[in-house]
Amino acid sequence: MRSRKLTVVIGVVVLAAVAAVLVASVGSAAPQRRSAESTKFFLIPKFIGIPVFTLNGVGAKAAGKQLGISVTYNGPTEASAAKQVPFIDTAVRQGYNGIIISANDPNAVAPALRRAKARGLKVVSYDADVAKDARTVYVSPPDTQSIGSGQVEWVGSQIGYKGEIAILSATTTAANQNAWIAVMKSTLKKAKYKNMKLVKIAYGNDNDTKSAVETQALLQAYPNLKGIIAPTSVGLPAAARVLQQAGKCKTIALTGLATPNSMRAYTKKGCGKKFGLWNEVDFGYLAVYVAKAVMDGKLTGAAGQSITAGRLGKRTVGKDGVMPMGPPLVFTPQNIDKYRF
Amino acid sequence: MKAVGRVLAGLVFRWEAVLVLLIFAAAFWSTTLSDLFLTRANLLDLTTPYIFIGLMALGLTLVVVAGEIDISIASILAVSVVVLGQVFEAGANVWVAAAVGLLVATGLGLVNGLLVGVVGLPSLAVTLGTLAAYRGLAFLINSGEGVASFPVGFTNIGSGYVWGQQVPIALLVFLGAAVALGFLLHATRFGRYLYAIGSNREAARFSGVPVTLVRVAVFGVSGLMAGIAGLVYVGFFGSTRADAADGSLLDVVTAVVLGGVDIFGGAGTILGVVLSVVLVSELRNGMQLDNLGGDTQNIVIGVLLLAAILAGNALRALQTSGLRARIARARHKEVMRPSSRTEGIT
Repeated sequence: MRSRKLTVVIGVVVLAAVAAVLVASVGSAAPQRRSAESTKFFLIPKFIGIPVFTLNGVGAKAAGKQLGISVTYNGPTEASAAKQVPFIDTAVRQGYNGIIISANDPNAVAPALRRAKARGLKVVSYDADVAKDARTVYVSPPDTQSIGSGQVEWVGSQIGYKGEIAILSATTTAANQNAWIAVMKSTLKKAKYKNMKLVKIAYGNDNDTKSAVETQALLQAYPNLKGIIAPTSVGLPAAARVLQQAGKCKTIALTGLATPNSMRAYTKKGCGKKFGLWNEVDFGYLAVYVAKAVMDGKLTGAAGQSITAGRLGKRTVGKDGVMPMGPPLVFTPQNIDKYRF
Repeated sequence: MKAVGRVLAGLVFRWEAVLVLLIFAAAFWSTTLSDLFLTRANLLDLTTPYIFIGLMALGLTLVVVAGEIDISIASILAVSVVVLGQVFEAGANVWVAAAVGLLVATGLGLVNGLLVGVVGLPSLAVTLGTLAAYRGLAFLINSGEGVASFPVGFTNIGSGYVWGQQVPIALLVFLGAAVALGFLLHATRFGRYLYAIGSNREAARFSGVPVTLVRVAVFGVSGLMAGIAGLVYVGFFGSTRADAADGSLLDVVTAVVLGGVDIFGGAGTILGVVLSVVLVSELRNGMQLDNLGGDTQNIVIGVLLLAAILAGNALRALQTSGLRARIARARHKEVMRPSSRTEGIT
């Protein structure tokens, strides 16, 4: 019984204390906006701690420097929409002028972004879009068509457009992977590629070990295999490693999507002589230029509007307020040392 | 005077008092981090994004007091929100859909309860299994983008405000649930049964406590709370995807353990858990306002949790040593009066 009385006493003390603090803070009820001095943008990636998003942040800060905007890069440590929302809400309270976000769930972050818009912040999504009415412009990766058909061309040009090829994908449910694979299949039906035959789609689950095991299985099951397309930044280096260890770099052409840093050693030795990716630094850079243009009223999301985005040149808004960031970069043993990311 | 002194000493040695001190210390730290912290709007709103965590923590508290664990709650939340979404999209009234979601959540909790209470499997194993199975079920029901077209009257549960647009409704839901569960745990026979089972299940059984029934029921309560958390989740995030609340389990367990609930069962209060939810939200909010990275935040919360467990252990050791001293004194008195002792024996 004594303990319950104590619990009640503590409860009363807490309530009184909370009430006291609330009363004390009445005077400063309205958040003090310290934004008068300068423009501030908040960049929220899906999560922090992996190279691609860090590079987005690097590019965004570079653009901010050119434009005289201070850019904050911060986000949750895991890919969770629920954990992105507190960042959005505090950005509003801190008096930021714009939010740039890559969403973990297009709908779950939308209410918070709408609240932000209602308070006068400008919202731009990039990399992974949010619900359309929650942002003004979406800066998208290179479109599905050019990424999908590009990889077929990269592998085809290495094997004389002839022979068996396989795809090493990520997970069976990954939307972007499946969209690219669909484009690859339709591309293979074109006359130019009619002598190339897709024999297998393997799934490495974006896991290094599983990707390597699947690659080995491909080599065993298809002795006549001429090419592998691995459109995943985990799968491609894993496949390159397996080919190198098996001494098959000369006989099997490898392509896909990955950062140059993860492929440099292999590419220089002839494993994966042609592969691509968009420039993640430019991605963040462009997003900040777009947010600035939205703030200045130069972009409203209508199709056909265009801006000059610093060193990237002119970029145009397409349908639904989507602005693609341009064609992917292609890496070869000759040019790979120019790219450090 | 002596009584007052004892009450004061008791207060100091209560875990809840430590939490209150920590809350004020964290508030002080947060004001040094950002001058935006100590504003009424911020103080009232700082728990809002974490209310769904707090609601799950309240339900889990009862389970842990009974000496069990339920790590499937985030998955139960996911199933209940996708069911809610699907029923709503099929054309039902949103409140009917919400009720169906709550029923499903309670049902899934009861399944856990039956496997633990009736079949007699360990709760860690059972809820580890259902953690995966329920999450899979949620993806089976809807693996797409989910439903996001809920009426404002409904989403107000998670994102609306009352009293001059200042007090978040979600906070009121949380406080209401805390009062209800506090009553259930601290003022009813069911609550006393939970403590008894958590302290010593066999002793409770021999004392006539309906152990099986209570253990099944407490998992049902935990499921229901995950369902209510789901309503607030949908209200706040406006989305019913199958990955809802994924990765939130750690925060829920942190809230319970930091709240002073003994992970081995038999001890803990709802007030402690409420305070720990406030403390964690407050810390995250303050660090957020200072733009500290998500990784730094995790380190601070993790260290806090470890420190809490260490301090809790030290506190318990102090209390038992005090108890031992008292017993020793009592014995000493008895030795001084041998007559009473012999009386006792004969």
